[in-house]
Amino acid sequence: MHKLAVVIRREFIERVRTKWFIIGTVLGPVFMGMFIVLPMLMADKGAKTRTVVVLDATTDSFGTRLTDALGQTGQVSVTRQSVPLANLEDRAGTLAQEVGKQGSLDGIFLVTDEAVADGHAEYRGSNVTSMTDMRTLSATLRGAVFTERLRREGVEPSVVGRAQIPVDLKTVKVVNGKVTGESGQSSFFVAYATWFLLYMAILIYGAQVLGAVVEEKSSRIVEVLISSLKPFHLLAGKVIGVGAVGLLQLGIWLGAGKLLLDRRADIAKLLGQSDEAVRAIGSMTLPEVPLATVAVLLTYFVLGYFLYAAMFAAVAAMVNTESEARQAQIPVVMLLIIPTMMMLGILNNPDGGLALAMSLIPFASPIGMPVRWAAAPVPLTQVAASVAILIATVAIVTWIAGRIYRVGILAYGKKPGLKELVRWVRG
Amino acid sequence: MSTTVVEVRNVTKRYGAYTAVRDLSLMVPRGAVYGLLGPNGAGKTTTIRMIMSIIMPDEGKIALFGSQGSGKDLSQRIGYLPEERGLYRKMKVIDLLVFLAEIKGVDRRTAKQGALEWLERLGLADWALKKADDLSKGMQQKVQFISTVLHKPELLILDEPFAGLDPVNSQVMKDTVVDLARGGTTILFSTHIMEHAEKLCSAVCIIARGAKVVDGPLAEVKRKHGGSHLIVAAERAPALDAVLGDRRLVARADDYGNYAELELAPGAEPQRILQALVQGGVSVSRFEIAEPTLHKIFIDLAGADAAIAAEEAHHA
Repeated sequence: MHKLAVVIRREFIERVRTKWFIIGTVLGPVFMGMFIVLPMLMADKGAKTRTVVVLDATTDSFGTRLTDALGQTGQVSVTRQSVPLANLEDRAGTLAQEVGKQGSLDGIFLVTDEAVADGHAEYRGSNVTSMTDMRTLSATLRGAVFTERLRREGVEPSVVGRAQIPVDLKTVKVVNGKVTGESGQSSFFVAYATWFLLYMAILIYGAQVLGAVVEEKSSRIVEVLISSLKPFHLLAGKVIGVGAVGLLQLGIWLGAGKLLLDRRADIAKLLGQSDEAVRAIGSMTLPEVPLATVAVLLTYFVLGYFLYAAMFAAVAAMVNTESEARQAQIPVVMLLIIPTMMMLGILNNPDGGLALAMSLIPFASPIGMPVRWAAAPVPLTQVAASVAILIATVAIVTWIAGRIYRVGILAYGKKPGLKELVRWVRG
Repeated sequence: MSTTVVEVRNVTKRYGAYTAVRDLSLMVPRGAVYGLLGPNGAGKTTTIRMIMSIIMPDEGKIALFGSQGSGKDLSQRIGYLPEERGLYRKMKVIDLLVFLAEIKGVDRRTAKQGALEWLERLGLADWALKKADDLSKGMQQKVQFISTVLHKPELLILDEPFAGLDPVNSQVMKDTVVDLARGGTTILFSTHIMEHAEKLCSAVCIIARGAKVVDGPLAEVKRKHGGSHLIVAAERAPALDAVLGDRRLVARADDYGNYAELELAPGAEPQRILQALVQGGVSVSRFEIAEPTLHKIFIDLAGADAAIAAEEAHHA
């Protein structure tokens, strides 16, 4: 046991001391900060008013009303140009020359009678990739067309006005019969973040185990180690040591992330945002992450990491060099990518067959179950079954990986075939 | 306390159809400097790895310190320098040495103190805080050597310890080995260079193609297998060739050009040969009754093929 502790400590300290660990640990929160700060700066930029010309080829007053509606949004500086339908394309072509030039025109709105009749209109502009702008334009158009159609049917304008009062659907998650503070959107966000965190963490730290084993093998220090240590102690020490580094780094990141979010109003103030914006940012509702979700996340991280680290170690023991290892690890990485590709399927239907399968199959469950858990209530019996299956798999895979590792680390030369691997495992 | 530190009994190791070690037996007595000799590919490293229980023999038994415990269980009492040796390249030398001693069960403080002493002794004191990567090959090898002796083992197993060392460092290493042996450490080392064994060993085992050729205390091996050897340097003359070719006097003659090494025919006396040379009018510049070199014994016993392999290994 003392020897195992020595191996774990070396693995931990040597890693934490490297500049990559320090850079990575510091950069994590910096990136998180950027996720918070950039949207603020973007929002500032996006608030700029756009200059739009409405090319009105309608035969009634719809063009005028659309122009007024656009003007009322406060985000568009709009002028109307009446044009006969026959000349519409010519005029649009001429105006298009002006689009995108500094300080002139952002876009042209082409409106004909078809807008009200069939619901077709066209916008040509330099800002078509801006989601905010397009949302404003299409919402305004939809509203104007809707009003116009009802007016033509003889509905009173005041009724139309009341009919257009926006409807807001608030989504709230129910877990075990209790209404939680989580909205549907924030559940999705938490599930998404869970997936990203687990996928990255298992991949990054699993790959570090791979690198560590290859290093010991290619530098040939392994024979010295093996004369003092049982191969299993060496393997376990490495996996636990790297895993401890992973937990430390995740802990620092999560702590820093929480701190950044808690102090987000101060950060906004520092960035010179207006008082109003600071208040808005401060009162923004954030997804609340229940303690149970954190517990599930950590449990599955630890188990998933052990499962994949053991496989990475076995793969590393089969090869001689780092470049060979990069090739050989692909099947293991694929195993991890499969549940990732199923992620949206799980989120869309967290109670469905696919979600159930992904949260029970051991190679997928380290990602599948936490994502499902974050998205929707999961029966505790299923969680227990999933954890039990996963623990059993970790035990079996670690045993097999240990056997492969034991022989592999001292075998140089050709990569073993399947038949030879079976012989190694049987030992 | 047993007087036999390593006992290898009828050990065979096969890799598929290839037999790496065949029915090998040897005994290393306590306090010996024991040489395991043979050309490359003779099975030295395989034998040592089996002694360290890194690999298991297919047949036969290996006992260390008179018990059945394997090399790994007894690793605290053994220092092992493998043929394929490496270091953690990114680690500081001192941290590396402390770590390698700790996994042998030495506590941190003792390990650190011992490491600093050894670094001082081998002229590496200034390198203690450098990364292993920054050291030259020779220095790395010294660090590797320190890691095998830091926990004060009773038995030191060194696989080709002099390979890759320049003459100066090679001498430092030999002196250190001799010092340790004087201090009571039993040393088992392998080499394909017979001259090294000749200088250091109290006992040897020569193997070729996986099988033992000869073993025992060095003096005994020489006495038993040497026959009587003469070294003769003389002016070229027909009479010299006549004497060297006379099978009643000379069993074998290896003519090296500057001198010839002769093995006497059974019953022949060195005096008779000298007499024959003088009578033939050969001008003799050197006439010496010599012990055979290990190299010569090895060639005589293992045969020409093994000799060629050994030569190639030597020059490789």
